[in-house]
Amino acid sequence: MSRKIRVVLAAVAVLALVFSGQVPALAAAYVPINGAGSTWSENAIRQWASNVEQYGMRINYDGVGSTSGRNQFASGLIDFGVSEIPYGKDDGAATEARPKFPFAYMPIVAGGTSFMYNLTIGKNRVTNLRLSGETLAKIFTNVITNWNDPAIKTDNPGLVLPARKIVPVVRSDGSGTTAQLTTWLVNQYPDIWNAYCAKAGRKTPCGVTSLYPVIPGSATTAQSSSTGVAGYVSQASSVGAITYVEYSYALNLHFPVAKLRNKSDYFVEPTARSVAVALLAAKINTDKNSGDYLTQDLSGVYNNTDARTYPLSSYSYMLIPVDQENTRFKVAKGKTLGDFSYYFLCEGQQQADQLGYSPLPINLVQAGLEQVRRIPGVDAQNVNIAKCNNPTFSKDGSNTLAKTAPFPQACDKVGTTQCATGTGGATANTPTTGGTKNTGGKGTTATTSPGAKPSSSVSSAATATDTSGGGAVDPDTGQAIGGGDGGGTDTATAIPVSLTSQLDPTLKTVLIVVACGLLLGLTVGPPLVARLFNRGGRP
Amino acid sequence: MTDALVAPEQRRRLRPSGGQDRVFRVVLRLAGTAVLVLMAMVGTFLFTKAISALRAAGWSFLTTEEWEPDSGRFGIAAVLTGTILIATVAISIAVPLATGMALYVSEYAPARVRRILINMIDLMAAVPSVVYGLWGFAFLQAHVIGLARWLSTYLGWFPLFKVTGSDPRDPLATETVYTSSTFIAGLVVALMVAPVICSIMREAFSQAPIGEREGAYALGATRWGMIRSVVLPFGKGGMIGGTMLGLGRALGETIAVYLIISPVFVIQPHVLQNGANSVSALIALRYGESGPMALSALMAAGVALFLLTLVVNFAAGSIVARSRSGAESEA
Repeated sequence: MSRKIRVVLAAVAVLALVFSGQVPALAAAYVPINGAGSTWSENAIRQWASNVEQYGMRINYDGVGSTSGRNQFASGLIDFGVSEIPYGKDDGAATEARPKFPFAYMPIVAGGTSFMYNLTIGKNRVTNLRLSGETLAKIFTNVITNWNDPAIKTDNPGLVLPARKIVPVVRSDGSGTTAQLTTWLVNQYPDIWNAYCAKAGRKTPCGVTSLYPVIPGSATTAQSSSTGVAGYVSQASSVGAITYVEYSYALNLHFPVAKLRNKSDYFVEPTARSVAVALLAAKINTDKNSGDYLTQDLSGVYNNTDARTYPLSSYSYMLIPVDQENTRFKVAKGKTLGDFSYYFLCEGQQQADQLGYSPLPINLVQAGLEQVRRIPGVDAQNVNIAKCNNPTFSKDGSNTLAKTAPFPQACDKVGTTQCATGTGGATANTPTTGGTKNTGGKGTTATTSPGAKPSSSVSSAATATDTSGGGAVDPDTGQAIGGGDGGGTDTATAIPVSLTSQLDPTLKTVLIVVACGLLLGLTVGPPLVARLFNRGGRP
Repeated sequence: MTDALVAPEQRRRLRPSGGQDRVFRVVLRLAGTAVLVLMAMVGTFLFTKAISALRAAGWSFLTTEEWEPDSGRFGIAAVLTGTILIATVAISIAVPLATGMALYVSEYAPARVRRILINMIDLMAAVPSVVYGLWGFAFLQAHVIGLARWLSTYLGWFPLFKVTGSDPRDPLATETVYTSSTFIAGLVVALMVAPVICSIMREAFSQAPIGEREGAYALGATRWGMIRSVVLPFGKGGMIGGTMLGLGRALGETIAVYLIISPVFVIQPHVLQNGANSVSALIALRYGESGPMALSALMAAGVALFLLTLVVNFAAGSIVARSRSGAESEA
């Protein structure tokens, strides 16, 4: 969908370049390159691609889904692919085409697969939903079908959720995001997942899949691409819908994401910091001779016991051609791809947080930079990592971002009345009911404040107090939450439900028939009557 | 056309065609055959690519609803039915709309308005389908849900309009059951094909002989009476032909349908209900990520669609050519 828009935008950009007439000297140095694949990391890649345009590099990226990206890369249609999972990981592995030329994986960015939802209580948008992994697994497998299910109530003691049907929105195309979700399901909730798969007619035991199985007739709706599912959920008519997309999509659409329960019984949002913490437990393949060098094993992340962990965190990978003897890859393109890679591995990482992703840690940046050297035709550089200003770097090699990540607030603990603060792109608070008054944890609210820029220089108080601007905020409870005064507000919220008066069904049918009769009589009647009279008058 | 140009009174002897004419004729013939050859090549290509899938699936290709080529269970029962349903919805909305538009433009509209309207309609036909799709997904869908709900509430006894999982009495009932449906996809496709149908119909209507029109008026017919007794019978071929061409386009419409539907692989006759499918949308959705077998299966689905559109278009062509208006405009 938006692919086409982007094509148009790209065309406009090209025209602008052509007519501005100032770039040719620079542009001559670089050859445009084409990439395709993941929509999970598309927002980051697009931003980086537009950032490097000033250097004369043109990176065309097509967000067609990881599966398609791997396929196109394998057949040599594109210069680089982007995929969430390596070749041969999902259930279509047996038939998946692999590149016949040497290639390598290069990590590009980290991020959290978030659960973006559209839910209202009365007229108020819910922005602080919390869900445990099991509840989520059951939601996406049609076991829990209603928002007022006791399991959801247990996770959200502070919300009185309506008796709305849950509409899980899944991807209809082959997607790396689906693969990340199902990897997590297979690892954590195999029984729930297998039961669903069997019902959907797939072979069990059901493995990781890029194509989400849908049971016909269920509430599950499938849409293509991340933009498609996120766009569908954000529509006004989609109240009750929930989907899985990268965190950045929720930020861009100003929608909330569910806080996911981790192994230490805290509900955590997929911010850059919680993703960085979670990924400390990721197992990276460090065998340079392996075909899967640098790929990830996330089971440690799912089970990470750090209280700040967002369990569904992962790295995204670029597929790059390597080897000088690689005949399929035009060497001229190597320079562009190499310089682009240098840019996003170093400088580009600073922006990750702001875009809704998480920057790569130092070890992966180093490994990535080494991979860049293997691109045929690359203009190899010695990057001084210290100058990258990557927020994860430190002198002693530890991950600064994860080290300084604040611990979750007390109100994020299982069993407490949840924090009222919004999540994702929805910064408005949601009034909660009952429970104890919460206090902010350790005065760290300044860094855990809601909103798009959790660790940016914008002061947290400014973003948090902005809530009164949101239309969905209850005027009584839309007070500024900031500093140490915590999130909970003890206001009882009534849930207005408008009911239209209902007619007796029989009466309704009778009325419909009468109305139809009248309509017919009035339109067809007069000419018929007139004709009858005419015939009577003149034989 | 040629007969009209030759004056009937005096027969001119044409010189036997010279070298230039012969060259020109050869060029034209080549161009003409190229079209046929291309068509045949497309067909052959699709068929050769499809053969391995067709062999694997056998006759069950026509009866299977699922689409899981990698595990060997795939067929076009669901997608082809979906395609036909979407096209049917589109045509049943587009044809009355286009007929009204064409009649107004050719018979009622004042000359200046007519020119503007004709331009507008041609412009509508030129809008790329992705624009219609985006508009349908982002704007129309939200606004048409009310109509879908109304139809299913009051006409739900009609099997096609039934929606399971909806309860009009529950204020919290989800509206998503009415989204991404055959109906909405069909509606958007209808808006895309209506201008095409309308142009053809208008062309046919405007050619109704002036003498017969005057005759009808002379016999005391009202304007509507004249239209009924002269224009419509004269333009019948154009109407049918336009409809068939519209149907052909509706069957093959890809991107707008792809953007709107939530694909389901089961025969889904409830047009207002969430979940639809079409062959072309399936191909657009899956071609990029398919292995060799899946690709072959998609080609097989393409063959089915190709044959279907071919039949529809041939039927349209023959009807248009046989009718009075068609014979004059096309021969």
